[in-house]
Amino acid sequence: MSEITNSGILTTDGIPLKESLKKAERKNKIRALLLVAPLLLFIFFTFVMPIGSMLTRSTDDSYINNVFPKTFKVYQKWDRVGLPSEEIYATMFLEVKQASGFEIGKASTRMNYAKSGWKSMIKKSKRKFKKISENDGPFKDKMIEVDKKWGDPEYWLALGVMVDPTTYEYYLNSFDKKYDSEKNIIDQPEERRIYTKTWIKTFKVSILVTFFCLMLGYPISYLLATLPLKYSNLLMICVLLPFWTSLLVRIVVWMVILQQKGVFNNFMVISGLIADENRWQLMYNQTGTIIVMTQILLPFMVLPLYSVMKTISPNYMRAALNLGASPLHAFWKIYMPNSVPGISAGGMLVFVIAIGYFITPELVGGKDGQMIGNWIGYHLKTTLNWGLSAALGGILLVIMTVLYWIYNKLVGIENIKLG
Amino acid sequence: MIKKIKIAFFSLLSLAVVSSAYADLTFVSWGGAYTAAQQKGYINNWSGKVNVENYNGGLGEVKAQVESGNVTWDVVDILPDQGVTGCDEGLFVKLDQSEFIDDMIAGPVSECVAPQIFWAYTAFYSKSAFPGKKPKTIKDFFDVKKFPGKRAIHTWANATIEMALVADGVKKKDVYKVMSTQEGIDRAFAKLDTIKDHVIFWSAGAKPLEMISSGEAVMALAYNGRIGAAILTDGKDFDYIWDATVLEQEYLAIPRGSKNEAEARKFVAYASSPESLAGVTKHITYAPMRKSALKVVQKGEPWFHNGVDVLPHVPTSKKIIKKAIIADPMWWADNGAEVSERFGAWKGN
Repeated sequence: MSEITNSGILTTDGIPLKESLKKAERKNKIRALLLVAPLLLFIFFTFVMPIGSMLTRSTDDSYINNVFPKTFKVYQKWDRVGLPSEEIYATMFLEVKQASGFEIGKASTRMNYAKSGWKSMIKKSKRKFKKISENDGPFKDKMIEVDKKWGDPEYWLALGVMVDPTTYEYYLNSFDKKYDSEKNIIDQPEERRIYTKTWIKTFKVSILVTFFCLMLGYPISYLLATLPLKYSNLLMICVLLPFWTSLLVRIVVWMVILQQKGVFNNFMVISGLIADENRWQLMYNQTGTIIVMTQILLPFMVLPLYSVMKTISPNYMRAALNLGASPLHAFWKIYMPNSVPGISAGGMLVFVIAIGYFITPELVGGKDGQMIGNWIGYHLKTTLNWGLSAALGGILLVIMTVLYWIYNKLVGIENIKLG
Repeated sequence: MIKKIKIAFFSLLSLAVVSSAYADLTFVSWGGAYTAAQQKGYINNWSGKVNVENYNGGLGEVKAQVESGNVTWDVVDILPDQGVTGCDEGLFVKLDQSEFIDDMIAGPVSECVAPQIFWAYTAFYSKSAFPGKKPKTIKDFFDVKKFPGKRAIHTWANATIEMALVADGVKKKDVYKVMSTQEGIDRAFAKLDTIKDHVIFWSAGAKPLEMISSGEAVMALAYNGRIGAAILTDGKDFDYIWDATVLEQEYLAIPRGSKNEAEARKFVAYASSPESLAGVTKHITYAPMRKSALKVVQKGEPWFHNGVDVLPHVPTSKKIIKKAIIADPMWWADNGAEVSERFGAWKGN
């Protein structure tokens, strides 16, 4: 008896069944893993790695610390009053002189974010310091002679924010704050405060666009789901045709329609609804951005809504009406709750796309329609301040994660359905 | 079946490898009429094969290529501040500048660039919008009482700051000195405030012309080449306000790590020769950066491809350059980010 319990059931070749099963399962697991390996690798290299490297860029300040290690060391002894001592000047002088032009260029770009003017000052100094010998100290007056900005304590104070290889300055900048030379957090000067406003605007526009998409998309989807097939097919084409049309073409068409001397305003003036000198400004501002984005993102609301509504059996509504509910009550109590997964999916989709939108605000945003994506693009392409771009992008990522979490708590992620 | 697919796949793959090995230079520029002029002006006469690609400006792509070590661009058409930053950061290789360095109207901004053209932010209007008195100076552009109507300007700060200061009475040669002080910038924004309610913004270069044609705006800032094309080839009744036109430089550079560097260097020398530069001006009214190229144009008048005199439309010609400001790329490299943020805040409030 005991022998049987010890060895368990054996397969024909004498191996315990458990082990044999395990082996077969392991094989299957490996095979499955190998099958998805390309996908996993793809996701890793195109998704995890870039996002990871972007997030590290947003706090990384090591480059400048590697170019001026000694200067930053002696700098920390400075009491931040008046001008620094000759020792700091001399160390800076030697490190500017000894660094390669390439290092100096990259470092000066970084220093320029802290205070405008560092760039030309460092570059000019790099050229002129060649003529000054390393044993020709003291250097303080000679440096000020090369560029009088060396004698301006403001520039020296600005160095203070860079002394750690890890910095949160880019994140502070993203909310119109910055470090002073002692690394206390202070406000940006009034006229440079732009990002907080842009964040609020980005949210406002995204929420409004999602709301309008829902308001317009819900009835369309309802029609799509309930009309007889031959009509609903036609309607589906009407939804999809703009979806397949080039984004730029659609934006330009909206410009033609909405601008002050455009089709819409002309129509309003001709029909006498508004006076010629009071034409509405519907383009090149936030209104324009919201209108155009709503039209562009509408299919992302309609398609998931439609596929969910398609699965709601008409019998539910019939039953409700049959039992004496008013049509409105039946709709509100029966149809609406059943379509919530579609609303969630569409809402999330539209909101996520809207919050990082770039091209529409760029082209029709004009005065006040520009969103955070446009500033990310600006810093990526023009100022090369990838740290700030990365911080702005990182914040977007965090916001999305938080929203997703809240959503999961409130509605439950299993309630998202694309069909 | 699977074997066939495999064979097809690998032959395609090898084709791609082979074709990339034989592909000649990749020349990256801004596209549109400007790049078409570069192609007709000199690229088509180059002995080798040149693939022309378009980009949207900025150093983003170049930086990504150089840092990842996979450089697919051989020659890039860039703005001066990119010429400075890109050279400093080692994104571009140094060039032999002895051929043109004494022949240039301005620049070169760094050791990595070869001259191409000047393009200008120029104010213009439609003659039909002002049947009586016509705007002549940049002061008129900022004077909404004398010349009422909307002004169309671009969404970024370059050139607008300079023009605002000149309109406020700053001498052209002092513009960058004034801009280097906080009060100077405040002054420029105060001047901009006076037209704020009369401004609409554009971000794509074709828009201002469309805005003037449709009457959406009465005066606009635009790239002078676009205005030139509208007047010279489309016969529009536009006229320039050359006063305080801001000249921007445009260069060629070779990204570090280009796979055809030797060939690219030869091409850049060819592309920056006086004949090549004058060739560009034959098709678009941007101004050659080399004095000798202007002479080629002058001798060849009527030089424009449809048989019209082109010099009255070229912002470096004698009469116009006196009224112009040559943009200071170093100032913008230092202060561009800060002023742009402020411009953004000004725009949105």
